[in-house]
Amino acid sequence: MLPLSLLNAAQNKPMLVELKNGETFNGHLVNCDNFMNITLREVYQTNAEGDKFWKLKECYIRGSTIKYLRVPDTLLDAVKEEQNRAREAGRSARGAHVSGPGGRGRGPPQRGGRGGVRGGPIRGGRGRGRGM
Amino acid sequence: MDSLIPFTTSGSLVDCVDRKMLVVLRDGRKLQGVLRSYDQFANLVLEDTVERIYHQDVFAERKNGLYLIRGENVVLLGEVDLDQEDDVPLRQVEWDVLYPYHRQDIADKKQRDETKAQVLFEKRGFCKEGGEGDGY
Repeated sequence: MLPLSLLNAAQNKPMLVELKNGETFNGHLVNCDNFMNITLREVYQTNAEGDKFWKLKECYIRGSTIKYLRVPDTLLDAVKEEQNRAREAGRSARGAHVSGPGGRGRGPPQRGGRGGVRGGPIRGGRGRGRGM
Repeated sequence: MDSLIPFTTSGSLVDCVDRKMLVVLRDGRKLQGVLRSYDQFANLVLEDTVERIYHQDVFAERKNGLYLIRGENVVLLGEVDLDQEDDVPLRQVEWDVLYPYHRQDIADKKQRDETKAQVLFEKRGFCKEGGEGDGY
């Protein structure tokens, strides 16, 4: 689960965005892109000192100005579950229509799945990190 | 480290996934949490994050949950040694008690740095700093 995929999965979820200048934006994520540009709705904005507040119906934030985002704790679990479901669905769909090898990708490991010479090192090449 | 993985940002972070990590941001904030994911920009996903503040030999922490940190803002990422983390000679106090001291420390440091920069500029021929003011 890459950071930006997590952000994608956070659509319609509440979040807190802090900009590099210290301002914060509390709202629900409407949309985002691969530059981390985001749009929020029903936003509460606070200044860097935390003593002034504004309410905005909707706002757009350029990704490059963001320091960090705080998202709901439950999001990671939800995303993991979603991935598992997708994997199961993909597996049963493949099982029904395609028989034999060819469907590389997820599912039980097949020989030569990703990188490496046959009989080479057991560990795959550059993967996606661990267990995410 | 696995020698098959080249020494790149991504390569060297593989071993840190699912470990408790300390992250220092450009604004001086210190976060500790479990690194769940990262990408080529060092954007990080930290779970069960706590923010820590320090003042002399006292610290306080605040639970902040799940973070997605934009890589640009990361200064340092280090693994926390779970065997030794409780051995530090620091005393924990309530966040609300320590926070005013912490704010004061920041203000003092800012004042000091400004004075220093002013002296260097006027008397020693140094140039003015970039403007972001955080030394990075």
